[in-house]
Amino acid sequence: MGDDHNINLPPGFQFHPTDEELIVHFLYRKAKLLPCHPDVIPDLDCYPLDPWELNGKALAGGNQWYYFSRSTLNRVSANGYWKPVGADEPIVTSTCKKVGMKNYLVFYIGEAPTGIKSNWIMQEYRLPDSGSSSRSSKKRGQSKIDSSTWVLCRVYEMNGGSQGSFCDEDDNGPELSSLDEVFLSLDDLDEISYLPN
Amino acid sequence: MPEEMSISVNGQSRVPPGFRFHPTEEELLHYYLMKKVSDEKIDLDVIRDIDLNKFEPWDIQEKCKLGSTPQNEWYFFSHKDKKYPTGRRTNRATAAGFWKATGRDKVIYSSFRQIGMRKTLVFYTGRAPHGQKSVWIMYEYRLDDKTSNTNTFNSMEEMTTYEDGWVVCRIFKKKNQQKTVDGANSSSITADSKTQMLHSGKNGGLEEILQHMGWTCKQENSRRNSINITTTNNSTNYMKFHPIGTAMGNGLHVRLMQPTNQDSKTPQSLTNNGSLFDQACEVQSCYGAIDEASVTNQGSGNTNSVYDTEPNHINWTALDRLVASHLNGQAESSKQLACFNNLNMGSCSLPDHVLQLSRLLSNESYHTSQDYTREMDLWSFTHSSSSSPEPSGHI
Repeated sequence: MGDDHNINLPPGFQFHPTDEELIVHFLYRKAKLLPCHPDVIPDLDCYPLDPWELNGKALAGGNQWYYFSRSTLNRVSANGYWKPVGADEPIVTSTCKKVGMKNYLVFYIGEAPTGIKSNWIMQEYRLPDSGSSSRSSKKRGQSKIDSSTWVLCRVYEMNGGSQGSFCDEDDNGPELSSLDEVFLSLDDLDEISYLPN
Repeated sequence: MPEEMSISVNGQSRVPPGFRFHPTEEELLHYYLMKKVSDEKIDLDVIRDIDLNKFEPWDIQEKCKLGSTPQNEWYFFSHKDKKYPTGRRTNRATAAGFWKATGRDKVIYSSFRQIGMRKTLVFYTGRAPHGQKSVWIMYEYRLDDKTSNTNTFNSMEEMTTYEDGWVVCRIFKKKNQQKTVDGANSSSITADSKTQMLHSGKNGGLEEILQHMGWTCKQENSRRNSINITTTNNSTNYMKFHPIGTAMGNGLHVRLMQPTNQDSKTPQSLTNNGSLFDQACEVQSCYGAIDEASVTNQGSGNTNSVYDTEPNHINWTALDRLVASHLNGQAESSKQLACFNNLNMGSCSLPDHVLQLSRLLSNESYHTSQDYTREMDLWSFTHSSSSSPEPSGHI
């Protein structure tokens, strides 16, 4: 299910990293020009793709797609454009160390500024300070980003209840129905009488 | 160039960063468990063997950790062979508690073909019957009987140990405490009965069954609130009643019952569980209605019948036994419940909530006994009933 063909893993494994893992294990190494272990996230810098075209080209994991890109001012593809929304979020480790930033973009179909908002969301990850003085600028669409800076993109489509997040294929809920509760409330005579100790 | 990412490095399990183990049920059964029972060589480091009697769920959580990605579920193989001396029940007790199975195994399909079963268990700390329910839940998967590897047993043992052998388990913590009505079983219920009965509390399961009765019984409620009620500790579905009076409600002559102590346990005041008693009374009032109607047609001396020989008295012990044994899936009880199901076919002079209960319980039955004939006579009163229950019992 979405495993990159480079990987040799038994069935059941899915790519589902945390924000911290994306930064620390992947983006950081990419920016330092170090090989990633595992080297599964492709560069899609040269291809301004519509989000629905990512399947097969980007790394897929649980209804989300991952790829590297150099940040550009205008993310324009064949049928639309990405527009930043909201403020940047810091990514902190469990030791309260800030390791990166993340911002959200929404894909609009059509030509700016009259595009129609779609359900496609991108989370764009970047390292905290890549040498640009305006890194801390929060102005949308005006960040003077070094064009050689890599960012990591996580793209997914918001639909139904699934915000592109990892959905359980099997039906886990309600985990215990009310009838299960009734069963459990019945006394279990075996366990009363026979204990391992 | 394909990159080899081994799971095992120096005997230690290593999962590449960013990856997490979340197999489908099909993968669990068809790939992992199948290989395990056939003793095929696979990279079994992913799923380890755990002796369920030796580890608490939180120990398993530690032992079955995979990689660095945060997990909320853990997988392991277990071999079921330890039994209680009494018979077929598997011993799943640990030092701190025990795993208790719910009665409903779910069939797992692959391409419309049954490949295995899934049993749900909950971990209780302490010892039954005083165990404390925890938030740990286990799904225990076993292969379908035909596909599981039982050729090491002779044919006689196969019969008794059909659930034995390797299973693959997934444990996780319960996500929320919110009670939800099981969608498959819910029928349309009146708004006020719903708000009246739907409480998130210990008695959710019984509430669900009772709320299908849809009996609002507003008149009885006001009376009951002034009645001092006690019930037994912990066994919520073993309420026995003795009559304390009668009440007229909704055009029915209803016998109001007060629960008696079932055993030597110290009774608790029911002030917290007022809702449960309300519903139990509603059940009683429903059956009270049937009582009145069936006065003379009851001739059977069947001791398992819900009605004992005294026409105006529900045999609650029998009813409790019936419900409990049905929930435990015994064949005999399903025959008796078939008589409830038969109500669906008769005329609707019975209150609809009774029909709903029967439908609910019948639908849950795993046995398809169709032996109605003996019990049919019990219910032939539907045609001779003189006091027709109010059609507002419609749900």
